[in-house]
Amino acid sequence: MPKTETETPKMKPRPIVRLGIFLISHSLLVCVVCCTAGVLALLLLPLLAKSTYISENALMPGSASSMISNRDISEANRLASDLSGLNFEPQDAAALESRGILTKYMSDLGAEVSYHKFHHKPNQFHPLHFFSSPDSTSSVDNFSCSAQGVNTVGIIRAPRGDGKEAIVLVTPYKFGKSGTAETLSLSIAYTVFSLLSRVTWLAKDIIWLVADSQYGEYAPVEAWLRDYHTPVFTGLGALNADTCIKIDDLYALEQKPIVQTKISDGFRRAGTMAAALIFKVADRNELLEDTLNIYAEASNGQMPNLDLINIVNYLAVHRQGLRVKVEKVLSLLDSRWLEILGEIFEVLGKVARSLNPGWKFGISAADYVEGSATLASSLYNQALGIPTGPHGAFRDFQVDAITLEISPKVSSHNKARYNEFLLRGGRSINNLLEKFHQSFFLYMLTSPSKFVSVGVYMIAFALLVAPLPLVAASLYADANQLDLGVKNTKSTTTAPDELDITFRSWKWLYAAKEVFLVHVWGAAVSLLPYFI
Amino acid sequence: MSIFLLLFIDIATAYSSHSSSADTAKHTNNWAVLVCTSRFWFNYRHMANTLSLYRTVKRLGIPDERIILMLADDMACNARNKYPAQVFNNENHRLNLYGDNVEVDYRGYEVTVENFLRVLTGRHETAVPRSKRLLSDEGSHILLYMTGHGGDEFLKFQDSEELQSHDLADAVKQMKEKRRFKELLIMVDTCQAATLFNQLHSPGVLAIGSSMKGENSYSHHLDSDVGVSVVDRFTFYTLAFFERLNMYANASLSSLFTSYDPKTMMSTAYYRTDLYQRRLDEVPVTNFFGSVMETIHTDSAYRATPRKMSNRAGISMAVEKTAQDDDRRTLIDSDVQDPTSHTMTKDQNCPFTRTMNTFFEKVERIEHPDSLVNYGLVLMLPLLMVSVWLSS
Repeated sequence: MPKTETETPKMKPRPIVRLGIFLISHSLLVCVVCCTAGVLALLLLPLLAKSTYISENALMPGSASSMISNRDISEANRLASDLSGLNFEPQDAAALESRGILTKYMSDLGAEVSYHKFHHKPNQFHPLHFFSSPDSTSSVDNFSCSAQGVNTVGIIRAPRGDGKEAIVLVTPYKFGKSGTAETLSLSIAYTVFSLLSRVTWLAKDIIWLVADSQYGEYAPVEAWLRDYHTPVFTGLGALNADTCIKIDDLYALEQKPIVQTKISDGFRRAGTMAAALIFKVADRNELLEDTLNIYAEASNGQMPNLDLINIVNYLAVHRQGLRVKVEKVLSLLDSRWLEILGEIFEVLGKVARSLNPGWKFGISAADYVEGSATLASSLYNQALGIPTGPHGAFRDFQVDAITLEISPKVSSHNKARYNEFLLRGGRSINNLLEKFHQSFFLYMLTSPSKFVSVGVYMIAFALLVAPLPLVAASLYADANQLDLGVKNTKSTTTAPDELDITFRSWKWLYAAKEVFLVHVWGAAVSLLPYFI
Repeated sequence: MSIFLLLFIDIATAYSSHSSSADTAKHTNNWAVLVCTSRFWFNYRHMANTLSLYRTVKRLGIPDERIILMLADDMACNARNKYPAQVFNNENHRLNLYGDNVEVDYRGYEVTVENFLRVLTGRHETAVPRSKRLLSDEGSHILLYMTGHGGDEFLKFQDSEELQSHDLADAVKQMKEKRRFKELLIMVDTCQAATLFNQLHSPGVLAIGSSMKGENSYSHHLDSDVGVSVVDRFTFYTLAFFERLNMYANASLSSLFTSYDPKTMMSTAYYRTDLYQRRLDEVPVTNFFGSVMETIHTDSAYRATPRKMSNRAGISMAVEKTAQDDDRRTLIDSDVQDPTSHTMTKDQNCPFTRTMNTFFEKVERIEHPDSLVNYGLVLMLPLLMVSVWLSS
């Protein structure tokens, strides 16, 4: 009987199955192609960056004029001189005194002042707490009385607002051993705060947190936020926090006649936070012009809404004439091969534009190098997951926050522009009706006014990751074939039975070793932030 | 024979006395429906637009009881307002539009498409108070002004619904059928405003929009003190036209419509006159935007004077009307023909149709049809006998 009669005709498999089989069989080639394409896409990202734009209509940054008078500035100067006069006293007394002075100035404005005591916990970062809120129960035990700080919080209630939302202004300050930069930041924040206490257009409450930064800037902000979002109704939490206070110190502070109004013992809250701005003045001075550094990356690679960066950038550049900078990887700026690549792209862009004027994706080589340095820094910070400033604590509670660091010019005495800048930013956020939600949450900056959104950088990432399942499938197919081959030989011969059995019984050890190695590598990567 | 003679005489008298039909009603009152459909603080200028028109219309004579003002949000008492309880439409802050006597009929979330259409068509639930109803009649001239965000054939209400052009056209058609207006002027200040009245087909409607399809309508200027744009360009130039007028001015509609300059407005104000019979240069703006009361001085009381045929035919009367009563009104005016009654619609031109219509109306108004039929039958008997006698 001919074979063709008994064998059923083979049906051709569907095209996608055929494509899959083709890819798996040529997995090495596909891998190489995908990886190079991925790397190329990564290198192309600074070219594909779009200009930023304000997505939320309600913000309207810069549309209102400011109303800072000389009286406010003179009051702020008085505060600064009072605080810097304390630098010659011993530290503990100076800390208490400066706190008292600040409290007096705040309560003179009519704000509600309260103290927040916290304990410093070293090594804060737990990589597994991305989806759950930071653990509040762990703060009860195992604290040491020496590492304790006191934040000063001032709250202005909006006279015609509904009290449901708040804007937060944070200034880190070392009570007792402050430098001129920190005193300057405090005086600028005080000017803005005093103005906000008198305006009629406030729709949200304003919280000014003067964070005690003797143990770092992140810890006090994070502790305050944690206590803000976990209200304690039994009073036991407050007791625990109070046991280490040198009781006579604070008692003495509250009894001093300079403090007229009663300082609140309890924790004052002001509703949900619409946005937060952490403001500080850097110790270094710039040569050419006033510079504003923006730090945006928060814990676990979260970023604040792009609109917040957009309004800060717009107000700084177009209204105040400041120069805005974002963090860069400085070593990349000098890299020769990056410059060569930039020049190649510039030439390509010019060629494309000459072919068709509609294709405008070419940028200059210098822009390309800067853009890729900024992009590399952004990638690194987001991948590592460690916040680049105290604003990172806010993102854990879904509050958009950025850190603004000002480096004033050496010879400049014009501090009023920072007051205006903060005031305009505050007014813009005041106009919001909902939290920031219109603009991007997943993006990478290539310059303060250019960004790459997730839809673009995900392509590069997908190209780099796509080979992995392909290789896995091809390895599995190979293993299957090997198995089949072994089975076939086994069915034909019976003599090397025992050898086969022993051979296949030790095979699992190799597999187990591979799995163990991969797990160890994964654990090392996830614990990496502990060591940095 | 005699019954036919009777009927013929009736028709003739009815025709001569029945001088006012539905389409030839006199213009007796003016109404204004002013709608602002946007909420949120950054849409301050739409509120300012509507309040400016409100102020203009009140200044030129329309009283509050004949204005329906629909404002979707409260800007004056918004916490973000630097000047609480004040609304400005110009950065010189010369005019506070939100003074002491602003009566808002539909406020906040009551401004919906459903309520808007109910106001236009008059189909309210029984509990709705009179101040929220458009109690117009067939002698009314209505000004309908709408502002907000819009687009191609739609107008956005409150960020959550839309009014489409065919909805508006349907509402206007219902209004015409129920004889709720004599003439209607629709003024729309949104982006692509002219598309909103693409589908209108009822006679007696005049419509102007601030921009054509594909064009945006822009705001006029930004008030850096309040921090928002305070007025739109189309409304700004409309107000610039009206601020020069008072109640007795007789500027015509065509001078208003031709005063819009596309270059300064940055959009083309498009108006549609194909549904409107009168010539625009004969219609004074106070026919829609104001309410002119002609006062006649009499030396002694209660002496009826013959009404002069004047150019300004608007005489306001307070018309009482209950909710169930929407029968036709017949005006008793034996002496004088109203100059506006010369407009005849096409199907009235044929005399046969006219006579048949009057005949049917006369027949409908007979109180005792049974007795008439009986008389007719009784009168037929002698006719029958005569004809039988002649044929035999």
